[in-house]
Amino acid sequence: MAEVHSRGRPSRGPFATAARAFRRDRTGMAALVAVLLCGLLALAAPLLAAAYGKNPTTHYGQDEPGLLSAEGLPVLPNGGISGEHWFGIEPGLGRDVLTQLLYGMRTSLLVALASVAVIAVVGVVLGVTVGYLSGLADRAFTFVCNVLLAFPTLLLLLALSPVIQTRFVDPGENEPAWMQFTSLILVFAAFGWVPLAMVLRTAVRSLREREFVEAARALGASRRHIVLRELLPNVWAPVLVHVTLAVPGIVTAEAALSFLGVGINEPVPDWGRMISRGSEVFYDDPTYMVFPGVAILVFVLAFNLLGDAVRDALDPRTAR
Amino acid sequence: MTGYVLRRALQAAAVLLAITAAAFGLFYAAPSDPALIACGPKCDTGQVEAVRHSMGLDQPLAGQYADYLRGLVAGRVIDDVDGTPIDCAAPCLGYSYTLHQPVLDAIGDRFPVTLSLAGGALAVIVVLGVGVGFAAALRRGTATDRLLSGFTLVGASVQIYFLGYALQYLLVYTTDLFPVPGYTPFGDGPGAWAAGLLLPWLVLGFVNAAVFARLARSQMLETMHEGYVRTARGKGMSALRAHLKYTGRGAAAPLAQLLGLEAGALFGGAFITETVFGLGGVGKLAVDAVVQNDLPTVVGTVLLAAFFVVLFVALADLVVAWLDPRVRLA
Repeated sequence: MAEVHSRGRPSRGPFATAARAFRRDRTGMAALVAVLLCGLLALAAPLLAAAYGKNPTTHYGQDEPGLLSAEGLPVLPNGGISGEHWFGIEPGLGRDVLTQLLYGMRTSLLVALASVAVIAVVGVVLGVTVGYLSGLADRAFTFVCNVLLAFPTLLLLLALSPVIQTRFVDPGENEPAWMQFTSLILVFAAFGWVPLAMVLRTAVRSLREREFVEAARALGASRRHIVLRELLPNVWAPVLVHVTLAVPGIVTAEAALSFLGVGINEPVPDWGRMISRGSEVFYDDPTYMVFPGVAILVFVLAFNLLGDAVRDALDPRTAR
Repeated sequence: MTGYVLRRALQAAAVLLAITAAAFGLFYAAPSDPALIACGPKCDTGQVEAVRHSMGLDQPLAGQYADYLRGLVAGRVIDDVDGTPIDCAAPCLGYSYTLHQPVLDAIGDRFPVTLSLAGGALAVIVVLGVGVGFAAALRRGTATDRLLSGFTLVGASVQIYFLGYALQYLLVYTTDLFPVPGYTPFGDGPGAWAAGLLLPWLVLGFVNAAVFARLARSQMLETMHEGYVRTARGKGMSALRAHLKYTGRGAAAPLAQLLGLEAGALFGGAFITETVFGLGGVGKLAVDAVVQNDLPTVVGTVLLAAFFVVLFVALADLVVAWLDPRVRLA
């Protein structure tokens, strides 16, 4: 085949082609920069907080007189924005909004990335295996997926958190933060793998009839070899797209849970809880809710744009 | 078609049965003592024991599940915390020891709110979603397309718990452009009913329509290049007619499926929208039940929501089968 490329242009692999298409997509590149910036801000939150001289847990408004009124509202206009507190202070407890936002991003990203990692592993293993097998395994898989898809996910997430809590934590005891994170991640993963596995099942069902799989089978390759070496490398594109678009979905679901009153508890900073608190004082101090609200919007928008760009780059058919 | 309908109905019934088992197992088997939670902290040991007996928790789990299923089909009698027997007619979803009424009655009281909210929002989703999606697809690559696509992207990324409050603040609180959101029964005055639900309809509809419009646009674009559409155009059919007659029909199947999923989710209760706008529908009932550890109500609302999803997804599948003979003949 080398003669075909005798002009000196080596054949590009699918990844290089996609990367080239992606680099030409200006919106996609901007979204990537925004996403990386979010990740960097979350990683560097302790450094930034130290440089800024505040932390997310100190009750500045209560410790220093003159910041909060007797009703617990910021004295300064626009939610108490000042040179000291750039994004203002939280009504009531008087914590610094900017550091809460930064640390809240860590909460969101940690939950989302960990869940997505579990989802990717479970979804790929189940989807590819079931796609390659068929018959009874396939029917059982489809049935389980239909059941899981019919569950009202948000309500179930909402209802399961206290169930897990009462199961593993003695009454009166506080649930440790790591356990809240673990239970959230497990619940997200328990329902999140379904769409990915279903997409992969379909993809593999068409791949397994192709010549290269038949050739491998004819050469006596084991089932394990076919699944891992022949099929798996061909499905990473849908996995990548799905994973990118799953992150904002989990971030918003996690924020929604905290907004509704279950999720990560105090004192771990959390965007959804900030919005919930902001909704209580919304008409007196609208500024407080604007920051987490806009933060979620920008974050989710960036991830959605990135997901679209990744899909367009990987699938030339959708590029338009 | 009859064969397909029967197959699909059987499948839906099997899924529903599995869901009752899963929901039952998850919630009744998991917590340490549902009776203690149901009874509340004020109960003495005797009362907890009575509740445990009334909830059937002193029986094996399989027996409890059988009782629950029997109640669903034929109704049953459940004792309240103080021992009063309560008649729970079929389909009995259990008895709420917190609200002191059968779960289905509690849902029934609030269902008109959810139904009103879901109905209006669905209308917004269909009109806005299909309209914007198709307009963007037909004007692909133009400024209109970019504007509409940007609009739907923001809609798909914005959250109801932010947009809802922001619009209430801007349009109701500061400018009085919109009436104050709230629920008035339709019978008490259709005008007041629509006025109070206008903003919730628009917010819930817009957020869901955005996802719908994005799918409508991409489906439209995919179908527009199918051979049969090109043939129709080549034979001299006008673009609008060809797209309405062929492209629209070809793109409709995935849209019907998404709409079925969204309708099912909306009828099961819009938890966040109801919380944001202070509407007391099934979603609010479910959220309150979770916060108060009212297990029978939680299970009941989960089952109701799952029932609607299964129902509407099955209906959507029938629509798809009607649109596309390849599905029903497969």
